[in-house]
Amino acid sequence: MKRIKLLALISALILVMTACTTAGDGDETTTTAADGGGEDNGNGDTGGATLAEVESRGTLNCGVNDAVPGFGFRDPDGNFSGFDVDFCKALAVAVLGDAEAVNYVALNAQQRFTALQSGEVDVLIRNTTWTASRDGGEAATFATTTFYDGQGMMVRADSGFASIEDMADTTVCSLTGTTTEQNVTDRFGSIPFELLTFDDNEVLQESFVAGQCDGWTSDKSQLAGVRTNFPDSEGGPDALTVLDETFSKEPLGPVTRDGDTQWSQIVDWVVIALIQAEEFGIESGNVDSFDSSEDVNIRRLLGLEIEDDDGNTVVFDPGIGIDPGWPSAMITAVGNYGEIYERNVGPATPLGLERGPNSLWTDGGLLYAPPYR
Amino acid sequence: MSTAITKKVERPPFWRDLRVLRVLIQVLSLAVIGAILYVLWFNLTTNMRAIGIRADFDFLTQPVGVSVTGSDIGAGSAVWRALLVGVQNTFALVVVGIPLLTIIGVLVGVARLSSNWLVSKAATIYVETLRNIPPLLIILFAFFVGVLPLPDILEPARILDLAIITNRFIAVTGFSAAEGFEIFGWIMLVALVAAIFVWRWRTRVFVQTGEPHHRVLWSTGLLLSVAVIAYLALQGPFELSKPVLAGRALSGGFSGLGGYFAMLVALVLYTASHVAEIVRGSILAVPRGQSEAANALALSGFQRLRYVVLPQSLRIAIPPTINQYLNFVKNTSLGIAVGYAEVTLIAFQAIGNGRPAPQMILLLMGAYLVFSLTISAVVNVLNRRLQLVGRT
Repeated sequence: MKRIKLLALISALILVMTACTTAGDGDETTTTAADGGGEDNGNGDTGGATLAEVESRGTLNCGVNDAVPGFGFRDPDGNFSGFDVDFCKALAVAVLGDAEAVNYVALNAQQRFTALQSGEVDVLIRNTTWTASRDGGEAATFATTTFYDGQGMMVRADSGFASIEDMADTTVCSLTGTTTEQNVTDRFGSIPFELLTFDDNEVLQESFVAGQCDGWTSDKSQLAGVRTNFPDSEGGPDALTVLDETFSKEPLGPVTRDGDTQWSQIVDWVVIALIQAEEFGIESGNVDSFDSSEDVNIRRLLGLEIEDDDGNTVVFDPGIGIDPGWPSAMITAVGNYGEIYERNVGPATPLGLERGPNSLWTDGGLLYAPPYR
Repeated sequence: MSTAITKKVERPPFWRDLRVLRVLIQVLSLAVIGAILYVLWFNLTTNMRAIGIRADFDFLTQPVGVSVTGSDIGAGSAVWRALLVGVQNTFALVVVGIPLLTIIGVLVGVARLSSNWLVSKAATIYVETLRNIPPLLIILFAFFVGVLPLPDILEPARILDLAIITNRFIAVTGFSAAEGFEIFGWIMLVALVAAIFVWRWRTRVFVQTGEPHHRVLWSTGLLLSVAVIAYLALQGPFELSKPVLAGRALSGGFSGLGGYFAMLVALVLYTASHVAEIVRGSILAVPRGQSEAANALALSGFQRLRYVVLPQSLRIAIPPTINQYLNFVKNTSLGIAVGYAEVTLIAFQAIGNGRPAPQMILLLMGAYLVFSLTISAVVNVLNRRLQLVGRT
């Protein structure tokens, strides 16, 4: 009996001691948990930790949507496809040289930032809007916008609603935990309305079909996807109209964790390079034909040899941490921005979205790539 | 020989002294628990600082920015007010749901033991079906099959102008306060206290003299007569309010959203199936001799149940039933699936709109803890009273 007591006493003591040491070592052990094994260089920036981890793991953990056709969608066989998914692939090629080295993590709207903060995903490419409170409150760093979207309202074609002003006393449905809730609240302002939110797109659709909601609000690109897939038993796409008005700015782009500038820059330049490639006319099918290009800007982007002043040949390396020449591998594998767009959401796809603001600046759009030099 | 005896009387050294060891172990366990909590807290705050998330609760006074169904929460309302609406909505489910599920649970539990074959088999099928389906599925089923097929708001079903049924809401005739309603409320409160005293007085008379107590008659009679007199004296402190639907705008009456009814029906039926099993078990736990004695006294079936079996089984049933009440409260968080704006949904809305998740989740856990502890406290008081009655 006494022996047991003594044993208990000793084990309790050991427990306390381990607890104390853990607390004492807290500074190192805890930051390790936060940034995934990186060295803390003193100012909170864990430069290179994510890149090193992705390289040693051999796969990229990419947080995506699995329920928005055209952007992030998982088919019944479990394969992911879509506009956002192609950016995951592009990043995987740039960093790991393999478009298939991606572990897709399907996240819903509320999970996404927690998954990013906790290190479950290396990058979040899930139609996520860049806002100040997300930058500040969610410890997120937003990369160059991949898709300029705007929020719209979808109503039944026979409802007679032509504008938000017609929609007093209506019930509007949206997804829980998205910026759309706030935008629609702001847009209605003093016009009375009810906002009904659902956790899940399928339940929302059932509710909309049953007439619980008069309007369905979301980013216009998503509404286009929903409209395309609207069941024929309910009248198909023609039974629905998306109102002309766009009542918010929704710049969607990849998101990384605060505190790893190098990784954020890599993600940023992956997007920029894809846009730049379209501007230069470099496509997946013709990358090789630029080998003999005289344009030094193109040679820099594709990691081709350049003659310097002394007549030596060098390969331009901007020093963002990955091997020069990654853009050419990336474009070969997934194509340039325009190809990704046309393949997933463009006019030839079921979504049929015109380029609009997502055209190059040279075509009057908003896509303007900072120079790669 | 004698030295050995004196040695036994001597106190052992402190590391072998049971009295010291007992205290020491208590202190050490406390230290271990404290240390673990400290490490967890330290870990959380350090990690949050490392990735630049604020660890304070200042955001509660910031505007929540989103509209909340069935409330006046809009763009300008503070986060804490929106959360409070969520707590109210959760409460609205709990306060209606718990009495309902108790009644259904007891009825079904008794029915399972009925000698009527049809009744007992029907109750068995009900219990075995609902008890074995996850509550989320029952809620979605109630929503898809029970709520969505209700009439569209533009062609609502009306019951004699007294109720309006659509798949967005169900509204029934209610009361609305008029002039003097507050005074009326105070008068009724005083009357209620008086009625309780009358009840106890009648009980005492009954115990002392054996006269019939008629305490229900006395108390409700008092309450009703005060209510009627006060209503007339104040010239109508409240009036009937019928629900009116103009286009899509509802006014007047008492109304509940579709999601509320889906949640209520699903969770009440689900939890009642568990309570029914508890009731059945605790009735079976009452010794057989008790029912036989009741039979010997020629009590009717109802009397046997009401005066002999149920009072005794109640004592056995209450502690496990508290667990089911707590499950009910926790399951209300599934309201997010059908768009019912209870506290979890509102917290997730706020998180999705840039409010820090760790603090919101902490608040959420706190809210459920308060709910659960309150229910436990109330039912425990009831439990203690019943136990005392049992011993006298």
